[in-house]
Amino acid sequence: MPQLDTSTWLVTIIAMILMLFILIQLKFHKYSYPLSPAPKTFKSTSFPTPWETKWTKIYSPLLLPQQ
Amino acid sequence: MNENLFSSFITPTMMGLPIVILIIMFPTLLFPTPTRLINNRLVSAQQWLAQLILKQMMMMHSPKGRTWALMLISLIMFIGSTNLLGLLPHSFTPTTQLSMNLGMAIPLWAGAVITGFRYKTKASLAHFLPQGTPVPLIPMLVIIETISLFIQPMALAVRLTANITAGHLLMHLIGGAALALISISPTTALITFIILILLTILEFAVALIQAYVFTLLVSLYLHDNT
Repeated sequence: MPQLDTSTWLVTIIAMILMLFILIQLKFHKYSYPLSPAPKTFKSTSFPTPWETKWTKIYSPLLLPQQ
Repeated sequence: MNENLFSSFITPTMMGLPIVILIIMFPTLLFPTPTRLINNRLVSAQQWLAQLILKQMMMMHSPKGRTWALMLISLIMFIGSTNLLGLLPHSFTPTTQLSMNLGMAIPLWAGAVITGFRYKTKASLAHFLPQGTPVPLIPMLVIIETISLFIQPMALAVRLTANITAGHLLMHLIGGAALALISISPTTALITFIILILLTILEFAVALIQAYVFTLLVSLYLHDNT
């Protein structure tokens, strides 16, 4: 049975080790598995000034003095 | 006849140069590296397949076991692609070589067992004695469990080698028989040809299943030890 001819075993094993543990893993570690696109909530980095945190009623259009 | 039958399993060398190296490295070319955010169809399909396999396989492992994810996905893709390429006519299948399968099975099994010894020494030693054994049977059972532990890598390697080799040999034999029967009795040749087609379909399944079984068992040994 030619599989039991040990003269070729070293070459085969070294080629396999090179292939399996290095080459193929270099290919597969670049795979990315992105999640499906979905809207992401983000915290705003600009903060409202103190007079903008409270809506002051006097500036509503209907309450301005009628022209 | 023996010489002719087994000639496809001789490690290929061309004028003394071992081209088996090129044959083993060939499946790498079939998996292009993804370089874009949105890739072409081939790469996307392979990524999808890899994700499917990974989710299925890694679900049962602890976080420690999941560090082996890259190794296991590389293993199953390598064995699967090598086996499938071996179904082409006149091709050489590296997984028929016992040397390669031993070289795959022993380090992976040893890695799993040694990981178990390092991190969960008591639990991994406890595997040698199943629960609820009667006291007089303990020595014999420890011996049996030790033997069954050490036979795991051998069984992994020989299972893969024997399955793929046997499938290829059967295809050779039945194909040769169909060819020889054409001149004697075409009906029998047709029946033999249909058997050959069914066998080829089986071999496709076997190619994939063997890859799966190998990886699954390694994953199981890992689960026991993490």
